[in-house]
Amino acid sequence: MKISGSYTVPIPRDEAYKLLQDPVILAKCMPGTDHLEKIGEDEYEMKMKMAIASFSGLFTGKVKIADAHPPDNFMLLVEGSGKVGFLKGSGLLNLTPQEGATEVKYEGDVQVGGTIAAVGQRLLESTSKMIIKKFFEKFAEAATQPTT
Amino acid sequence: MATTTITKTEKLVGKAMRRQEDPRLITGSATYVDDIQMPGMLHACILRSPHGAANIKSVDIAAALAHPGVAAVYVGKDTEKVGPVPCGASLPGLRVPHHYVLAIDRVYFIGHPVAVVVATDKYIARDAVDLIEVEYETLQAVTDPEKAIGPGAPPVHPEWPDNVAFNYHQEGGDVDTAFAQAEVVVKQRITSQRLIPSSMETRGVVADYNTGDKALTIWSSTQIPHLMRTLVAQMLGAPEHKVRVVTPEVGGGFGSKLNVYAEEALMGFVAMKLGQPVKWIESRRENCMCTIHGRGHVDYFEVAAKKDGTILGIKLKLIQDLGAYHQLLTPAIPTLSVLMMPGLYRCQNVRADIVGAFTNAVPTDAYRGAGRPEATHGIERMVDILAAELKMDPAEIRLKNFIHNDEFPYATGTGLSYDSGNYAAPLHKAMDLIDYHNLREEQRQARSQGRLMGIGLSTYGEICAFGPSPATPAGGWESATVKIEPSGMVTVMTGSSPHGQGEETTFAQITADELGVGIDDVIVLHGDTAIVQYGIGTFGSRGTAVGGTAVYFALQELKKKIKKYGAMLLESEEVSFSDGVCVDHKTGKSVTLAEIAGASHRAMKLPPGTQPGMVETYFWEPPNFAFPFGAHAVVTEVNRETGDIEIKRYVAVDDCGNIINPLIVAGQVHGGVVQGLGQALWEQAVYDDNGQLITGEFMDYAIPRASMIPWIETEHTVTPSPVNPLGVKGVGEAGTIGCSPAVVNSVVDALSTLGVRHIDMPMTPEKIWNLMEGARA
Repeated sequence: MKISGSYTVPIPRDEAYKLLQDPVILAKCMPGTDHLEKIGEDEYEMKMKMAIASFSGLFTGKVKIADAHPPDNFMLLVEGSGKVGFLKGSGLLNLTPQEGATEVKYEGDVQVGGTIAAVGQRLLESTSKMIIKKFFEKFAEAATQPTT
Repeated sequence: MATTTITKTEKLVGKAMRRQEDPRLITGSATYVDDIQMPGMLHACILRSPHGAANIKSVDIAAALAHPGVAAVYVGKDTEKVGPVPCGASLPGLRVPHHYVLAIDRVYFIGHPVAVVVATDKYIARDAVDLIEVEYETLQAVTDPEKAIGPGAPPVHPEWPDNVAFNYHQEGGDVDTAFAQAEVVVKQRITSQRLIPSSMETRGVVADYNTGDKALTIWSSTQIPHLMRTLVAQMLGAPEHKVRVVTPEVGGGFGSKLNVYAEEALMGFVAMKLGQPVKWIESRRENCMCTIHGRGHVDYFEVAAKKDGTILGIKLKLIQDLGAYHQLLTPAIPTLSVLMMPGLYRCQNVRADIVGAFTNAVPTDAYRGAGRPEATHGIERMVDILAAELKMDPAEIRLKNFIHNDEFPYATGTGLSYDSGNYAAPLHKAMDLIDYHNLREEQRQARSQGRLMGIGLSTYGEICAFGPSPATPAGGWESATVKIEPSGMVTVMTGSSPHGQGEETTFAQITADELGVGIDDVIVLHGDTAIVQYGIGTFGSRGTAVGGTAVYFALQELKKKIKKYGAMLLESEEVSFSDGVCVDHKTGKSVTLAEIAGASHRAMKLPPGTQPGMVETYFWEPPNFAFPFGAHAVVTEVNRETGDIEIKRYVAVDDCGNIINPLIVAGQVHGGVVQGLGQALWEQAVYDDNGQLITGEFMDYAIPRASMIPWIETEHTVTPSPVNPLGVKGVGEAGTIGCSPAVVNSVVDALSTLGVRHIDMPMTPEKIWNLMEGARA
């Protein structure tokens, strides 16, 4: 499944680029994220709860940053699996400055398998979009709050 | 209390009788596989592939094995010597992949079994499945049959990179000349989508091994207990006489249980290894994913005709989506479509080419109608397309091309011999019932008001009463034993294995009439290989036409014996037997069946050359198939705003030969039509490009609900079959076969004013709305 969209965050591009790769911020903003830990250069381990259609499940997996061209763009590679199946995704995030703010355009491909595909595929697109929207909302909030 | 025994002179054949099996079914006293409980019973759960295609790099079962309550975990290499899962069909050059019961180093479709966990309860087994770690290397999958056989497709089986399992060609008459002489040729690509059979009861297996006797008993929800016994014994290397298969109540099969699956042998293997009974019950998601699917055709039809509508020739290129393996009859199913492709029409010039395509999907196989709905849908759509091209009335073009009544038995261009027919009769009856000519006027008015009203016809034929043994993979006969107990009560044992068709009632009706007893004096037993003589099973609308005929012939043998005993007891040279009494017409003396039965068992005296007891067994080999036919007529209206299709009227006129129980026949037609509507309007098994089944449960797979079904008006014409003495033809699949083309023809008719010529199934509101939007643009 292809997904794409954009969201404007109210911080300058350099800052946005940095924060989008900050595990603390990401763990805080990604809905359902239980745990996010840096395990290598540009590589994180993640646990995430996700609910689609009639069931929910815990996914464990890895997030990797590749093809980074600060502060313009980077690739995000996600791979996770759990009792309800697996998911794989890749996305290109493009950051464009906009008068003190930053427009983040994303374009990606999500693949799911197992029960989650059989049961949840119908709702996958709307769920993905909702998760991404929630992420950016929280991200915008977190980015503009003073660090505690 | 009044006795329920009916007066013995009343004939029961032809009478609408409530089913003998229903009291236990509707009061919850029937036993299904999942109702079986045994001391020490273990429960199995199967780990299945989440990928459409992948190499298995490693399987780690340590954590699952260590889980409390887990008795055993088996993976592919443990069961390597079991099987393979059998393919019973043979075609020239057929490529048959080795179908292991558990995948060894590669998975070929979503749901492919990888490991089995056996535990003390089913929840522990399910939990432990999640503890198995499998490392997969995912591969590119292909699920579209046309893409699979096209250039650049990933190979389903690496040894056959073209994904072609077989090519099959059949030809009759002179097709090239027919097309050269044609004044008009119409062509259309017609698909018959993959369907999930969705029996109410999923599959289930219980296996129990007696270590002392070295004897295995398997309870399975199947249509073919005896064939399963033979095949599972082979798969397990067990001696056939020490394998017993019991088929308790079966909650629907529709062909999906006309099969031998990995799980039957797998549970046998587990029971033999552990010496404890084991149960596996398929979940609904597993049923969607791992039980065979039906249909899966892409058909390219060409019909050549004269300007007056006379059909001259038919060409068909058929691409069959086989899935990743051959189940029992997978490659044979599309060959039935070819046999049936001329339908009811006098066309000898036919050419068909089938390409069997491997895909990364669960195998397709027999589903209600098995090959014949696809063929009927094709030819009945093509005849409508031809009629539209020639601006002829769809009824007129059919009447013009029907095989004439004086041409039976009729040899088709595909090598069949149609037994008997009067094809115009049900069409006329359906047209009268639906008031066809006035409807066309009503349609003109509706159109002038901008309403989209459609009238659709289909006239179908089908191959039933499978079948002569030379034409079937496993023998096409059926067996019956009839016993008269010392008290005069009657036990019938049929080798066909009814599972919803009501043969405990229809066979009792036949028996009651022949012996002059009441229906409650007869019991019909089936579905246990330790009780019933070898039989073939129930499928292909064969139960009554073949199994019932075997009962009839066993009864004729038994009546000869009854008369011998009657003559002896009456000290007479010649007696007659009817209505349960032997009579010597010279003396007027008589003796009842019960007295005769008692005397034959007591055996104080025997008629010359006659054995004691009162049992006869008959194995009947049918000389031909039987060919039912009929006409369905459907009125629809399409909502311009939403694309919703409303079925205003549904008329089904079927000719299934003589009718034994009109109530059961109506029930079969109703059920069949509902499944036909499912295909026409709602159902479709969908895989995504990665081989994921995205219609994996009833939230996404749209089987019809009761509220979605229109009132179905059923009527009949009766053209007895000369193939069997009962004159019956079979009706189990008729409704499904006649339905889908009638509905699609009706909706295409409704949208014809917008220039719509063909619609592929399912005709969802979204599809119809888009078509209308396209037409507006």
